[in-house]
Order: sequence, then structure tokens, then C-alpha cells
Amino acid sequence: MPLATYAVRSGLILAASVCLSVTANSQETPVSSAFADSVAPLLQKHCIACHGPDMQEGGLRLDTLAGLTKGGKSGPLLLPGKPDQSLLITAVRREDELLQMPPDEKLPDEDVKQLVEWIQAGAIHPEGAIVVNEDALPFDVTEARKFWAFQPVQVPVVPEVADAELVYSPIDAFVVSRLAENGLRPNAVADKATLIRRATFDLTGLPPAPQEIQDFLADESPEAFAKVLDRLLATPQYGERWGRHWLDVVRYADSNGLDENIAHGNAWRYRNYVISSLNADKPYDLFLREQLAGDLLIDEKTEETTRHDRLIATGFLSMGPKVLAEGDETKLQMDILDEQIDTIGRSMLGLTLGCARCHDHKFDPIAQADYYAIAGIFQSTKTMESLKRIAKWNENSIATAADKANLEAHQAKIESRKKEIADYLEKAKSAVAVSAGTGTAQQVAEDQLPEAVKKELATLRDGLKQLETTIPELPTAMGVVEGTVTSSKILLRGNHLSPGREIDRGVPVVLDVAEFAAPAEHSGRREFAEWLTSPANPLTARVIVNRVWRWHFGRGLVATADNFGKLGDRPGNQALLDWLASDFVKSGWSLKTLHRNIMMSRTWQLSHEHNEAAAEKDPDNILQWRWSTQRLGAESVRDSVLAVSGLLDRSMGQSMLHVKNREFLFDHTSKDGTSYDSKRRSVYLPVIRNNLYDAMSLFDCTDGTVPNGDRASSTVASQALFLMNSDLVIQAAEHLAGELLREYPDDARERGRILFLRTLGRPAEPGEIDQLLASAEKLTSQLQNDGIDPITHPLATWTAVAQAMLMSNEFLYVR
Amino acid sequence: MSGGNMFDCNQSRRQLLQSTAVGFGGVALASMMQELAAADQSVVNPFHFAPRAKRVIFMFMKGGPSQVDTFDYKPRLQQDDGKPFPFDKPRVQFAPTGNLLGSPWRFRQFGESGIHVSELFPNVAQHVDDICFLNSVHGTNAAHGGAALKLHTGSDAFVRPSMGAWVSYGLGTENRNLPSFVTICPTLAHGGVNNWGSAFLPAENQGIPLGVASQPATAAAVKYIANKKWSSSAQRMQLDLLKQMNEQHLSQSPQESALNARIQSYELAFRMQSEMPHLQDISQESEDTQKLYGLDQPITENFARQCLMARRFCEAGVRFVQVTHSDSKVQWDQHGDLRAGHSKNALEVDKPIAGLLTDLKRRGLLSDTLVMWGGEFGRTPTAQGTTDGRDHNPEGFTMWMAGGGVKGGLRYGATDEYGYYAVEKPMHIHDVHATLLHLLGMDHKRLTYRYTGRDFRLTDVAGNVHEGVLA
Repeated sequence: MPLATYAVRSGLILAASVCLSVTANSQETPVSSAFADSVAPLLQKHCIACHGPDMQEGGLRLDTLAGLTKGGKSGPLLLPGKPDQSLLITAVRREDELLQMPPDEKLPDEDVKQLVEWIQAGAIHPEGAIVVNEDALPFDVTEARKFWAFQPVQVPVVPEVADAELVYSPIDAFVVSRLAENGLRPNAVADKATLIRRATFDLTGLPPAPQEIQDFLADESPEAFAKVLDRLLATPQYGERWGRHWLDVVRYADSNGLDENIAHGNAWRYRNYVISSLNADKPYDLFLREQLAGDLLIDEKTEETTRHDRLIATGFLSMGPKVLAEGDETKLQMDILDEQIDTIGRSMLGLTLGCARCHDHKFDPIAQADYYAIAGIFQSTKTMESLKRIAKWNENSIATAADKANLEAHQAKIESRKKEIADYLEKAKSAVAVSAGTGTAQQVAEDQLPEAVKKELATLRDGLKQLETTIPELPTAMGVVEGTVTSSKILLRGNHLSPGREIDRGVPVVLDVAEFAAPAEHSGRREFAEWLTSPANPLTARVIVNRVWRWHFGRGLVATADNFGKLGDRPGNQALLDWLASDFVKSGWSLKTLHRNIMMSRTWQLSHEHNEAAAEKDPDNILQWRWSTQRLGAESVRDSVLAVSGLLDRSMGQSMLHVKNREFLFDHTSKDGTSYDSKRRSVYLPVIRNNLYDAMSLFDCTDGTVPNGDRASSTVASQALFLMNSDLVIQAAEHLAGELLREYPDDARERGRILFLRTLGRPAEPGEIDQLLASAEKLTSQLQNDGIDPITHPLATWTAVAQAMLMSNEFLYVR
Repeated sequence: MSGGNMFDCNQSRRQLLQSTAVGFGGVALASMMQELAAADQSVVNPFHFAPRAKRVIFMFMKGGPSQVDTFDYKPRLQQDDGKPFPFDKPRVQFAPTGNLLGSPWRFRQFGESGIHVSELFPNVAQHVDDICFLNSVHGTNAAHGGAALKLHTGSDAFVRPSMGAWVSYGLGTENRNLPSFVTICPTLAHGGVNNWGSAFLPAENQGIPLGVASQPATAAAVKYIANKKWSSSAQRMQLDLLKQMNEQHLSQSPQESALNARIQSYELAFRMQSEMPHLQDISQESEDTQKLYGLDQPITENFARQCLMARRFCEAGVRFVQVTHSDSKVQWDQHGDLRAGHSKNALEVDKPIAGLLTDLKRRGLLSDTLVMWGGEFGRTPTAQGTTDGRDHNPEGFTMWMAGGGVKGGLRYGATDEYGYYAVEKPMHIHDVHATLLHLLGMDHKRLTYRYTGRDFRLTDVAGNVHEGVLA
């Protein structure tokens, strides 16, 4: 056994020789007769064929002391003295669905008992004791921290570039020097019409209006482009576009999906919180802290709007898909925790933490114990109000004083109406009793009352009923609160039926740069959020600047935007990534500053033009010698179709669900009543898991089930069918054609000119208008043949022409 | 770590798919292989083994048909009808388990194999010698949603690609004008689109739905397949204008393959518009064939239509066709009223299924078409509480396969003597998937896709091929 450096989860690094296997020393070690008498023969009989000298299925060998000590691919085989925490026993007891040994038939109970007793007694082997150090990490921490992503962010020196005109900002210096190292030179800068279209789509997801284009083209000042960026960053549409990017990585959805697809009736509050936060340029570190622990960042003194925002923000933790009809509550809870940990890992840290649920991470230095250290923090957090089928997630009250007063006033009205009715009744009955001269008011039945009184009574009661059925609901938001502080137990193979030892709450050792300590009285979620957003955390800032780069350019500096681990890609230009990350933190984690820096760079402004020599060396444009053409995202396709045709409703949306909170979107009947008729921006349309709106799913919108910071950009025929045949596109084209015909009833050329400007954001070449008009003429006679009324056919013709523009590559791609 | 990926050049394959795929579903295998071979000389064969089947028809019986009333004959259950259940009950039960409930249906032996089939399936029974009954299937989830997701995607906890998407990804389509995976009248409940989705696999591998379960099969159509406003000639002219504009646009950067792919995608879509309705038009089938499926009878008409469409899609080159038997409720979910419910359900599907098997066989298609039948789980041999119905049972149930290289006339594996637990050669859902892929020539451990740094597969980290079912 070589000398090695091992660490334990306390963070302490031990430079010592910790022997995992023990050298044979038959004189000092008591020889167990149990092993020879019962264990060895049964292993021989049932196991050795697959886990012996000839075959080592799953990397496991049971005929040697070393093999028994080491275990297999699923982890250590046994813990002496702890049969219930030993994988061997889990397997032979068939407690784990996927680990049932021997595979064909269950071991006789007697044999299982022998194994249990042998392990209970210390698993004594004739060649020596089996020693397993439970606390040993499966990797060397010092070594592990040398991996690029776990290294602290250093501020790199900005390289010198000889050709000063290629450098608008330090970003260019990094890019151009890398290009130069590869014998490449960046393209020229794109023309102004291209730049404003690119910038407007990039920051707002919408095309520029003709007037905005003209203004920019007319502005010859050196600040002209900076002014455009400032204008765009200040529009509410910025938050809608970039908020949607964030919703991708937090798997936002308005329904649960999975088995019981019920409405996340209040998820929209989280969505709007994200949009508003981005529009306000909320510092990104605070933005994350609010989502992880917003409920712990408030007290009585916190201003109401902030207080509610922070409660709403924790909806991030609640939003995941859950198997709400899971009959096994423990499994449900562990699955929810797992989903949260996995989402936090991927979205904020670029780590696949979820991989360590069942075993030590196979590639990254994340031990299974690291996973359960984080799990403890979230196990101490209450995400669910109830785990009973159908399980319910927790919601927090965000009622304002006005909401409460409103409710109280309403309830007071009900009470007074009740009293009014009672008084009226009493009076009327007394009157009857008096006039009849017999008995008391109590003895008078209602049907003895005069008709007029009965009628008045009915009116009063209707009024009461009306009040009672319209009691205002106090607003609530999906989100978490603190639960009972607890520590998680390691689950063997992730199976909740095989709990192992308890793990203190904490963070992954490899990232524990600030010596995390969970408080005894709280879950530790707040401290976790602080650890995660500490400038010393090597991942958080790198991951977000890389995401922003990805969303601007279509490809991240680390191409696997959601995975910075060993299996992720290495950064193509780490110096640039680190410069961006350090500058970002220095700017106070300001996303708007980051956008401005990136877009003012010459690199962002490059033309898309092809260059044979450069393409030869770097065909995928990884070094960024040109602008990579990008297809519009799903939301932008729809929003742009509506925008250029004059149909887009730019108001902010609330909930657009057709059902109430927690109600089924569609049940066994397979009918989904969700409507997408709204003309609001796509970010406000319901995101229905299991049945995403096809205008979105066809164009690669995420389905809101797993974090996705790197959407695909597919080209499939169903997209063509949608653009050719859907009501949405045809109606938009018709609306656009109608406007053009109204504005330019007698001038087809002008109509064509404006059509180009509105849809493609550029003036048409003269030949293009000729071509358009020739096609229109042919279409007109065809449509006449098809029996379309000649009075309306100008509209039909121009609808067909306008639709062709909306289907065109120039419309659908950004250069 | 899972093994290599299917072609050992996953990244380039993925990039290729993302940048050049234009097919309704996937790129035809042959051209894919040529393109890949050009990129990587090591690529010679997409298959890990000799394929026994080229395509799959999966008949999904939504709700969970009872094994002990159909294809898993248990004489002991009949004898002990009404007695308490003698074994341990499962740790997690959907509802409390009552006493043993004998099957109300008689079983008879059929074919040379002499396999018992209940009187619920008199027509399918005629085919027992072509069918391999998987009597020992078991899953993990006792709720419809989890179980349906497990069956379709291999995972009840995460969103994963569906088996049809994996097959499409592995084999591509045989017909560039058609999707490689279609699902006819699927149910939106219990997993919905995830049951035919592609998750992280390239989008062209997702199942293309035709209609939904709550509508009759006559209304089943691909969305947006028809234009309500333009005649075909007018649309052609419109597309000609589009093509002109797109080609001018492309000429500025001819190396952009996505732009070129999109130009082609419109042409493909235009061809698809005429091809799909033609394929769905079963009036072209002879009266004999229509009768064979039961199209002439109201009770069988709907499922017959689905089965006949499935055959036509298969013939035209679709790799994976799913037909779903589900009404606007959960069809086979007889927690009560077992006798009436199962009688009606079986009547609706028995003749169409038998018709499909006969038709495939006489056309020579059965030998390389794998037909698979089953629900998301089975039902308990016990009554649910004191009702006359049965509860969900994922512990042991029956699916069956026919054609496509499986051994006919076989009962593979077994449940206990009452039909509750899979005890002999238990076949987990993962094993069913592994075996299905094997029959199609693919090793479930090597059919992988790299996503966020990990190689994923249909069978996750489990699954064993059951060689015993192979012919």
C-alpha cells in the first residue's frame, strides 16, 4: 500500500499512511473459524463464479482479503461490525431493486444470517482483519483542488496586442492574442444595421423597430452604439429576455409534470421576481442568496416588498418536478432533496452533485458523504407541507397589510350582513307573533311570514351568499421555510431502505475554502448560500459569466455550460474566463455591466462573414474569429412574428393558467384546457410540463424539468410545418398584410419596401422588391383560381407574401 | 462508467445531428453512416449484434391489465378464491390488500405450445405459438404516473428519453419523408409527452403524436400537417418565393449548414403533407383486411384503426410505432367492477391485435417486426379491500412479445402460484428494455448519449438481456 494523502470530511488533511487493506499477520490476528466454516463455503457456492479469480463482475472479487476490503464499483463491500450498513448484506437481502445478489435466486435465510453474524462479529478473515476507514475520502483533496475549476479565480494579466485597432476592450486582447497564436485574425466589424438587429435580439429577444434602426443609422457620434445598449438595457424587455435564460437553468414551470400534473398556481410570482430582479440589475450574489435562503434574509424590520420578494425567491427550491403520488414518503422526500441538490449543483456551481447520491462521484472529487452533508441542510428545510399522497408543497403567505385589511373588511361585511338578516328576521317574526297575538317570535315559522318579507329575506340571503363565495384569497407563494434541524444518513446505493452512518451538515470538502460550519439551531441554508456566493468560491462567478457568454455568443468559453467537472469541457480561453469572473465580482456582481462589457467588445461586434483560411483552421469558430450565426430561440420566434405584425402585447403577465393552484391541468381525460391565445410575450405563457406549448417545444424551448443552460438549436421538418400552417403565423401575416394595405393602398412597391424593413430590419435591394412583386402577381392569379374573392384577394396575396418573409432564414437567424 | 458510445464518435454524431438533421425524425441510417464513415474511418457498422428486428410496434394497455385474468394462468388462485393472501404483502401498497380473488374467466390451452389463455382473448389466443409471454415482468412503482414513466423511459424520478426515442436515435428512420417514431392516440396523463419525448436526445428523435387518447382515432393527425388557408398550388408558389429568398441569403455564407438544412426542411414538410394523410388513409385497404382488424364492428373499430395505421407506418419505414389503448379514463384500471371493465377492454383490442399479427405474418413483416404488448403494471391476484376489483401490482405481471426474433409459444419466467410476485427469471422493466434493444441489434450498455458530461442510456445502470426469449 503506497503512502497517500487522505482527508476526512472535517476538512482536515492527513498526510499519513492510512492502510485500507491490512497486511496479513496471522500471528496477531485472531483467525475466525466462522469465515472458514460457513462464510467461505457459501461465497464459494454462490458468488465466486462471477466475483472470483476468473471473473470480477462489477469490479468485485470475493476470494481474497484485498478484494473483500476494497469492494467493487458500487463502493466498499462491508463495514465490520455494521451488517446493516454493509452493501453485501443489502445485496443478499435484496433490499435494493437494482442490487440483488445472487441474481437468479435469493440466498437461503440461513446463509444470510451467517453473513450478518460474521460481519457483526467484526468480519474476521483468516489472513487478517478487514479495516475500512469510513471517513477517508475517495480522493486526495490537495490533488483534487489542482483541477482548473477548483482553483481560485486569479486576475490574469491582459495580453499585449500589437494591432491596437483590433482591441476595443480587454476582452478583445484575450481573444485576439489567442487567435494570433493560431495564426488567425478576426473579421471586420459588422455593419450598423446588422449590429442593431443583433443587439436588440440579444438584449430583448425582439427585433428593432424601423424607427430605432433609422435613429441609429443616423447617429454618427462615437457613442452611438453605447447609447443603443443603454437604451436596450433600460427596457423592461431586457428582463423578459434574460430572465427567461435564467428560468431555463432553474427548470421553471407552471405545473408539476411527472405523475400528477397539477398547477403551480403561484409559480408566476417567481417568474416575475426573476424578471424584475434582472431589470433592477440586482447583484447576482444577492439574487442567488435570495433564491437559496430568502426566507432567512428577512426580519420584522424588512420592508414589505423586499420581504415578499425574498419569500417568493425560494420558489427556486420548490419548483422541481415531484412524484406527488409516490406511496413511499421517505423515498419521495429523498427524491425531492436530490432534485434540489442536483439543480443547485448544475445551475449555480456547474457541478453534477446529484451523481453522488448513490456512490462517490465517479469523475469529480465529490464523495457520497459530501452529498449527504448538503442533503442534511435541505433535509432541515421544509419544502413540503405534506408528503401524504397526493403530496403538497409548502407555500408562504405574502399578504400585504392592504390584502389583510381587505379580507377583514370583507369578513366584517359578511358578519354585518348575517346580523342584518337575523335582526330583520327577528323583527318580522315578532311582528307576525304580535299581530297573531299568539306565542313568541321563536314559534313563528319562516313560511308564515308575509310574501314581501320572504322576498326581501331571499334578496338579503343572496347578497350574503355572494359575499361568502367571493372571500378574497390571501396571496401565497411557493417556497420553503426552516424545518427540524437534522443530519442526513448516507444511503447505501442511494437507497432509502439502507441508511448508513450520519453525516454532519456541510459543503463539499474540495470546495470548502472558507471552513463552512452549520449552526446547531438552523438548517445552515443561509450559511450555505453565503458560502456559495463567496468571492472565494471558485465556481459561482465563473459559471455565471460563462453562461452569459454562452447566451450572447451561442457557445460558452466552457462549452458544457452546466458542467464544469472533469467530464465537462475545459475552457478554451481560461484567462478570459477568469478575467470576466474577477471583473464581474469587482463590479458588484452586476449583470448589466457584464453585458455592456461584452457587447462593447470588438469580438461581439464581428461580422459573420466566412473566411476560407480561418475556416480551415477553426471551422467551428471556437476561437471566435467571426460572429456565429444564431437561430432565434423559441420565444423570439413567436414574439418576433407577433411584434413585426403589430400584434404583440407588451404588458407584464401574471398567471395565465385556466385552473386554480394545485388543480389538475389535465387528468385521466387527456384534455389540456391551457390556452395560448394571449398576445403577450412568450415568457408569460404557461409552461406546462408533459405538454409544453408546441410553438415552444418545436423550437427547442426547455421543458422545465431539468436545468438547461445550453439549449439545442435543431432544424426539423415539424418547425417548417408550424411556420407554414399554424394559425398563429397565418394570422400574424394577415394582420401585417392588412396594416400594409391600409397604410399603402395604392403603392405596392412601397408596401414591399416597408415589409422588408419591418420583418428583416433592412432596406430591400431594388431587385428584391421586383422579385416580391412578381411572386405576388403569380399568387394573385393562383388565388383567384382557388376561388378567393377578388375584393379580398389583395389581402390574401399579401398575407401569403408576408408569411414567406416570416418563414425566411433571414427572419429566423441573427447574423 | 458506462462503455463507449454507440459509434465511439458520439460528439461528432451529435454535432452532425444538430447541424444537419432535417428529417421529420432523424437522418436515415444509411446516409448517416456514410457521413460518419467519411468523418471517421473506424465506423463500419451501426449494430452491436445482428439485428433480429428492424422495427417495433408497442401496444400500450393504459391502466394495467390483470395478468391473472389474461395470460398468466394460476389454478391455485382459482382454488383458493376468497381465502386470505398467504404471503407477505408488498412494503408499499397502493391500497390495502384484501383476500384472494379468483379469475372470473375460464382458461383454455391453445396451439401446439398448449399455452393457457383466458376467454378474454380468444383471437390473440390463436397466435400463442408466435408469442413469447413474459410472465415475470416487474417494475418498481405502484402509481400510474411513475409506472408509465418507468415503462416508457426507464426512469420514474427523472425526465429521460423514451424507448422510442432511443430506438430512433440508434437506428434512424428508413424513410426520409417520415418521422422515425410515431405514437398514435397517446394519453397526456401520467407522464404525458415525457412518455414519447426525446429529453436530451436530439429533437428529431421525439415521438410524433397523432391525436390524443381522448379523441377517436379518426381524428388522429400530426399537428399542423394541413393548411386551412392555402391551396397546395398557392402554398407551392409561396414556398418558391421563400426558396428564392433563402437561397440569396445562403449565398452570402454558403458554408452555414443549418441554413441549408432549413431550406430542405420546408421541402420535406411539403412532401410530408401529402404523404402522411395518404399513409393514414386506411380506406385503401381491402374490405377483407379491414374486417380482419375489426374495422367493421363499432366495438373494435377505434383500436382496429390504430393497429392498421401502425402496420402502414411500419411498412413505410417508421421504426417505432406506439398505439395506446386508453379511453378518456384509465381504461384497464379496474379497482372495482373487474368483470365488466376487463370484458369491455379485451373485446375492444382482442380482434384488432390478432388481426395485426395475422396481417404482419401474411405480408412477411412479422419476422422482422417486434410486436410488444403490455401495461404499466399488472393487477393484484387479491381483491382491493372488499371490492370486486383488483389493485395495482408492479411486483409481477405479464407483457408479451411476438415476431422480431423472439421465441414463440413460450411462457418465459413465472410469478408465484397466485400470480403476485415475479419469482422465476424475474424480468425487470430495465431487462425488458435491454432485451428489446438487443433484438434490434443494439447493446443497451453501448447505446449511450453524452449529456452534461455523462453517458446516459435507456437502462441507466441496470438491465440484463434475457437470452431465453430469443429465437
